Amino acid sequence: MAEAEFDLARCLASVLQHDEEAARTLVDRLYPQVIRIVRGHLPRRAAEQDLAQEIFAKLFSKLQDYRPQQSVPFENWVSRLAVRTCLDALRAEKRRPELRWGDLPEEQAAWLEFMLADDSAPPDSDAASARELLDRLLSQLKSEDRLVITLLDLDQKSVKEISQLTGWSIPLVKVRAFRARRKLRKVAQVFRERNVHERL
Amino acid sequence: MNDFDKRWQTCAARARQAPARSESPPPGFAMRVLGRKPSAMEMALEALWERLAMRWLAGVAAVLVVCAALELPNLRAAPLLKPGIENTVTQLAWKL
Repeated sequence: MAEAEFDLARCLASVLQHDEEAARTLVDRLYPQVIRIVRGHLPRRAAEQDLAQEIFAKLFSKLQDYRPQQSVPFENWVSRLAVRTCLDALRAEKRRPELRWGDLPEEQAAWLEFMLADDSAPPDSDAASARELLDRLLSQLKSEDRLVITLLDLDQKSVKEISQLTGWSIPLVKVRAFRARRKLRKVAQVFRERNVHERL
Repeated sequence: MNDFDKRWQTCAARARQAPARSESPPPGFAMRVLGRKPSAMEMALEALWERLAMRWLAGVAAVLVVCAALELPNLRAAPLLKPGIENTVTQLAWKL
């Protein structure tokens, strides 16, 4: 269905009338938005397709509660649902993976050296390795801390947008971001110290 | 912003340049989602059950409140039996 032809209100009404074709169209249309959120907040041991399916299952079961007149655009409502489902999945992650310097590929180790060094230029490695290293470091944080840093620094959402997505107040988002950055620095420092001990 | 934070932001800026992966749904994804979606009958039964359960809960709470209100005047501790009856029962028990 072409972008200009898509009538969201009619599609939602049809889905609520149990029209399978409309439901399929809605899934296809929302998939890119949902999968972007899932990839940004995926627990290490979870499969992204499973989490995306869970989000859509929740979406259909809660669709009758969505009120268009409440001035919340449907896309924002879906994003909020997806972020909260990812947060629940991150909370359910029982153990955080152990971070070991020896497990890091050379490019990721270079990025970490850069972050902890006093005077060095950023490594000339590809963006994917920087992203993987950030994911590794973020996996050491609590689910809420990881979520706020991912939304703020990687997705470049504003504090207000994060507040709307998570349901946290604006001061709470700021406090969590501040504390999360501090913890992140500590994680990186502990990681380096452990590496020094391992070398000795 | 301290030095670590600046360097973190540099790394995050580079990470944001990572090439986007495909965002089109894999084949059959919508079908699998719709397969998990509860059917119309299940949803109707669930809604009906939820509505009735709430009404039953409200009804039971109302009955409990009425019972409590009716019992309120009798809350004072009353003797179990009158003294005359107690004496008779004691004598009978003694003879047995």
